[in-house]
Amino acid sequence: MARKRALRRRIVVAILVVLSVALLTVYFREPADGPVHRAEASAMHVVAPLQSGTARVIKPFRDGWNWASQLFSAQSQNRSLRTQVQQLRSQLAQELLQQQQNTELRGIQQMRDSSVFPRGSRFANARVIARSTTAWYSTVTIDAGSSQGVRVNDAVVNGQGLVGRVSAVTPDASEVTLITDQESYIDAMVVPNDAQGLVAGSVTGDVTLQYVDRSEKVVTGQVVMTSGMKGSIFTRGIPIGQVSAVAQQDVELYQSISVTPYVDFHTLDLVMVVL
Amino acid sequence: MAMRAPAIDKPADGPHVAAEIGRLAVLLVVATLLQTAVAANIHILGANPDFVLVFVVAVALLRGAEIGAIFGFVAGGIVSIALFEPPGVRSLALVAVGYLVGRYAETADLSPNIAPIVSAFVATLIFEAFSLLSQFLFGREVPIVYLTDHWVIPLLVLDSLLAVPLYLVARWWLRGERRVRISET
Repeated sequence: MARKRALRRRIVVAILVVLSVALLTVYFREPADGPVHRAEASAMHVVAPLQSGTARVIKPFRDGWNWASQLFSAQSQNRSLRTQVQQLRSQLAQELLQQQQNTELRGIQQMRDSSVFPRGSRFANARVIARSTTAWYSTVTIDAGSSQGVRVNDAVVNGQGLVGRVSAVTPDASEVTLITDQESYIDAMVVPNDAQGLVAGSVTGDVTLQYVDRSEKVVTGQVVMTSGMKGSIFTRGIPIGQVSAVAQQDVELYQSISVTPYVDFHTLDLVMVVL
Repeated sequence: MAMRAPAIDKPADGPHVAAEIGRLAVLLVVATLLQTAVAANIHILGANPDFVLVFVVAVALLRGAEIGAIFGFVAGGIVSIALFEPPGVRSLALVAVGYLVGRYAETADLSPNIAPIVSAFVATLIFEAFSLLSQFLFGREVPIVYLTDHWVIPLLVLDSLLAVPLYLVARWWLRGERRVRISET
């Protein structure tokens, strides 16, 4: 009896291991419309609404937590206002939440109305419903998919600047690879002097501007934006971030430039997909 | 609160099988939602807790290697889909975790209060080592020292802290543990 159980247990585990490896192999070898990808898209039909619902439920708590954190530091700076602030906390929280959302929406609207995107560009608004929880991937899931016209490699922005690009699409949701992901490379330029390079993410979350010639003069505080080079998926002029450090070594062909993204990826909520 | 010793799985009787599967399925959904929608918002010491991993540990401790491995496989698959990760990697790692923790529960003389913590700690190590290896094989950048400092160590602390409450939740939800003598395995 015990031997039978042990044998069954080993067989079950062996089957699960083989299934996992087979899934992985098929996923990487099949085309984007292969059976595993299709099954994934079908499963997202069920999972995405659940994620969306949970994200909505959690949002007030998350915002409340953020608000409380900010409030705590404000209180430490100005203790005399504590009593008054506590009385107004509930009312203020609601107003701050609305204000934050309004700011986000206004920023998105301004980005939409700016001259960055060609006339006639279409957009899809979306909300972040899930985020990668490993150190390996800097991705988020948004609640807009092919049903809204979203396609792979569409640019994703918010009111602050470039968020990333769509890397996978299902009818109801899409995966967005953030500019901080280590597999993200974006044609970029430094303005005003127009130095060209590639903005790259990393596993540490740091963003760097690479392949900028040593002869180019780049200084801290300059703005980095998409260059819209031929073949690039991003249109020219989407703000990415600001140069935060520049280092040059005699032995290097290129400069080492750190970039601080404009987008706050920790609080990312509303975004816009450029269709 | 003193905990009873994690004990070992025995296949459920016929009428109870459906209820058991139902309870495990609910646990699976809760774990997945916590992982995909909540975990990313909990950023402590630089890491996000791994609810699914800790639930796999709890199920393996309560139900043994076989159920633990199956639960790990399915949970890994669902989370991979929800987060657009390559399917199979997380499943494979969680199958290993479910099986090893389950075997530990089936064969070792467990100390009642620390088994979930020790299991979660070791399971996190196994899972992260596997993730590191798989990412290396995928050709991605793997800065081991940085990841150990900024990700693995905080995660070990977080998952170990989560182990006891989630184990108690799982044990309550699964209506306790079904015991068999160690000699039967």
